[in-house]
Amino acid sequence: MKPPHIVIIGNGVSANRASEVLRENDPDVRITLISREFFLFYFRHKLPAFITGSIDEDSLIVHDLHFYMDRNIRLRLGQTVQKIDLENKTLFLSHMEMVHYDKLLICSGGQSHIPEIYYPFRSFFTTLKKLSDARDIRKKLPLINRIVIVGGDLTSLRLADALIRSGREVSFILDDFAFWPIESGPDIRHALETALKKVGATVISGDPLERIERISDGDPPEYAVYTRKGQQLRAQMVGAFFGFKPDVDFLIRSGLDIDRGILVDDRLQTTYPDVFAAGDCAQVYAPHLNNYWVSIGWKNAIMLGEIAAANMSGSEQPVSMPVEQRIRFSDLQLKTPWWHAL
Amino acid sequence: MPNQTDSLIIKICGSAGDGSISAVEILNRACALMGFHIMNFDSYPAEIRGFGKSVGHTRISRSPVLTPGRLADCLVSLNDVHAITELSRITPDAVILYDSKPPDYVEEDHAIAGFIQPGMTGYGIPLRDLSTQAVKSSRSRNIVALGALAAIYNMSLDAFMEAIAIRFSRKAAAVMKNNETALKLGHDFIVQHGERPARIDLQAQHWTRTDISIISGNEAAAQGALDAGLSFYAGYPITPATKIMEYLAKKLPGRNGVVVQTEDEISAIGHVVGAGYAGKRAMTATSGPGFCLMTETLNLAVEAEIGIVVIDCMRGGPSTGLPTKTEQSDLYLAVYGGSGDSPRIVLAPADVTECYTLTRRAFEVAEAFQTPVIILMDFFLSNRFEDLPGSIFESFRSGVFEKIQAIAGDDPYLRFAITDSGISPVAYPGMKGLQHTITGLEHSPNGFPNYDGDNHRRMDAKRQRKIDNIRFAWPSPEEIGSPDRADAGIISWGSSIGAAMEAIRHPDLSGAAIAGFFPRLLYPIQDGALKQFSDRCAELIVVELNSSGQMAGMVEQITSRKVIRLAEVPAEPPAVESIVRQIQGVLK
Repeated sequence: MKPPHIVIIGNGVSANRASEVLRENDPDVRITLISREFFLFYFRHKLPAFITGSIDEDSLIVHDLHFYMDRNIRLRLGQTVQKIDLENKTLFLSHMEMVHYDKLLICSGGQSHIPEIYYPFRSFFTTLKKLSDARDIRKKLPLINRIVIVGGDLTSLRLADALIRSGREVSFILDDFAFWPIESGPDIRHALETALKKVGATVISGDPLERIERISDGDPPEYAVYTRKGQQLRAQMVGAFFGFKPDVDFLIRSGLDIDRGILVDDRLQTTYPDVFAAGDCAQVYAPHLNNYWVSIGWKNAIMLGEIAAANMSGSEQPVSMPVEQRIRFSDLQLKTPWWHAL
Repeated sequence: MPNQTDSLIIKICGSAGDGSISAVEILNRACALMGFHIMNFDSYPAEIRGFGKSVGHTRISRSPVLTPGRLADCLVSLNDVHAITELSRITPDAVILYDSKPPDYVEEDHAIAGFIQPGMTGYGIPLRDLSTQAVKSSRSRNIVALGALAAIYNMSLDAFMEAIAIRFSRKAAAVMKNNETALKLGHDFIVQHGERPARIDLQAQHWTRTDISIISGNEAAAQGALDAGLSFYAGYPITPATKIMEYLAKKLPGRNGVVVQTEDEISAIGHVVGAGYAGKRAMTATSGPGFCLMTETLNLAVEAEIGIVVIDCMRGGPSTGLPTKTEQSDLYLAVYGGSGDSPRIVLAPADVTECYTLTRRAFEVAEAFQTPVIILMDFFLSNRFEDLPGSIFESFRSGVFEKIQAIAGDDPYLRFAITDSGISPVAYPGMKGLQHTITGLEHSPNGFPNYDGDNHRRMDAKRQRKIDNIRFAWPSPEEIGSPDRADAGIISWGSSIGAAMEAIRHPDLSGAAIAGFFPRLLYPIQDGALKQFSDRCAELIVVELNSSGQMAGMVEQITSRKVIRLAEVPAEPPAVESIVRQIQGVLK
């Protein structure tokens, strides 16, 4: 009899940890990882350092190919799942290949979030979620001296720091929705402002972005960035950092229950049998809150990957509350108990 | 010129009928026009169309190359199911070009895109859509792919246009125009969408070589026969020799020659022996199974001392075997395959150039030594294309071996006179005063049957003696590498010589003293040179494509020492890397 086939969509923290646990639990099961990105699993938090050239691409890699070969895990990189037929347990890939599964774990992660109010300026924004984004920015960077960052999430703090260290001039427009989907309070905003100023950024707080104009098509282009109170900034790159939203667009017509992310119970099971979700793409039910929460941070992603793998292997393990994360930036330390309320 | 490399290997893989081989033919011509050297080897199924895998494999290089190489830098898939089986023959950083919009979803692991690994670069191109746009059908997917290759490797589109014009010169103008459109669509798609340029840039000085011919081993052999003055060819179609007959059927009548397609191989060689008897330069070409059928009549030519040329394009055997796979396993058949003591001269060219020169020389030898000359080619050599400078054809020096013609005199003419050289002056039917008898029976010097033991001993010795003498007139075997004492001596023959030479020069073996010995005259082998070579080598290693080590056996017989057999039947040309590894193992 053919061993069951477990397919994991994604190649981030949850996906990789889950694949590892699944293999530990069963040496025979077929495991396939499918990722839209054509890169090996990498440390996303190191992307700012890669952009400024402090580290090379090899330093980003978490697991090399041998990790997967040694565990007999099939890697399908650069392959996009277009749609899923949950009834027939079949994935349809964009290069017109069908992949059948017995159990499916969706760890599709997140994608850069741009608040609707800023949609008209999307084409002007530079975002940083993937290694390909980082490569693009790194390529352009030698010609760029002035950068405006709008938002204020964790990635943007690290990027601002790295850019300033590399001699760039960084202006930061702190936004209330920097930690979407929650609104950061005045205390957090003040702490961020102080920390950013300390590393050398020009900070605009309490005066949100109003509009952006492209005033030159050169290489690099030149942008004029206006705030609601009339301040005007010039930049060669405008970064938008409002956190990430679950990457679940490809599942919209699949039949899975989706809110912001994929709705799963506290065993990480979706509304379909044999289909699980973990990591940034999942909204996990918390019985004591009678509500759902979204995972944030590396530790939580690992925990969810482990639990999903255990439950796919036959356990009945509930998810405990998310692990508290800490943001460290300059002298600033933020704890994240307030994320519980998501 | 950025990212130059010396050589690039491209494979185009599809199902039979997808146009993989045609595409590589155009690619070869374009690359040759751009100034590159090429070595191409195709493999295809024995069936006609719609079955099995068809792979065009070509190596493009700035300097002459000896082998087609094994691992491809680029794999073009015209049929994913077949192309997937080629993944073990590409480099870890290969480029894979595939159809991104096949008409239907395929089952798991039937799409090559699913196998692209980190380090590789995948180019998904809507080959079918672009072909339909150009020619209203999917049949020009191969040409679209060529356009994409031109863009990926920064090659001259004009050279491809010229190659297409040559390829379709006999077709309607619309066919050429449609294919040019398909080529441009493939090229433009990459220019517009190619965000991942290939690591290898083949931009070249264009149009630097105007005097080149791109021909296969079969075509070179056929041209060599034509230029030698071939008058008569008879044959029966068989893979991989058929192309020789096809080539001659087009060209020989224009030179007042005759091509006869006979009912079988027995008839073919019968025709050829008859023509040889009449004093005409005559030839047949076949492959192992056909050669088996010819052996009886070949013996007649030995016994009756009739000069003919027989080309055996070897393929995997025994029996029907592997019609479209290469092998060098007919050596014993060529050397020993006959009843009685039936010595014959056996030659083996190493490359396409030598397919021409040795075939041309073979006619002189056959005529001078009045005996069959067998040329051992193989599927790899028959079907591989190389770029040859036009000067090859003009620079050949004929007349190295000349026949001794009988002159009518007062004494009765002895067609098989016993001489010191073993060669008797020859006459042909119709020559006044030189009437004579020939027969397949043992005979006296005058040609009449004679079963006397002493006569038979003298005649056997005469036939062997004349053959043996060629060893002294033939150029010495090619020797390369260490000229003095060697840790290992590599011996190879035929199409395996190129791989053996590359192996000897491989950087991984640079610390060892290695010498190479590469005869073209396989029988009678130049035993004096071989013994001298053997004496200076600590180990003797014979590289060949057969499982028993046929040349190795002959070498052991002559040198009276045990040799190491690198004798394999991989159904493809020998891999340099494999030879290097095995030599390293011997030297440990």
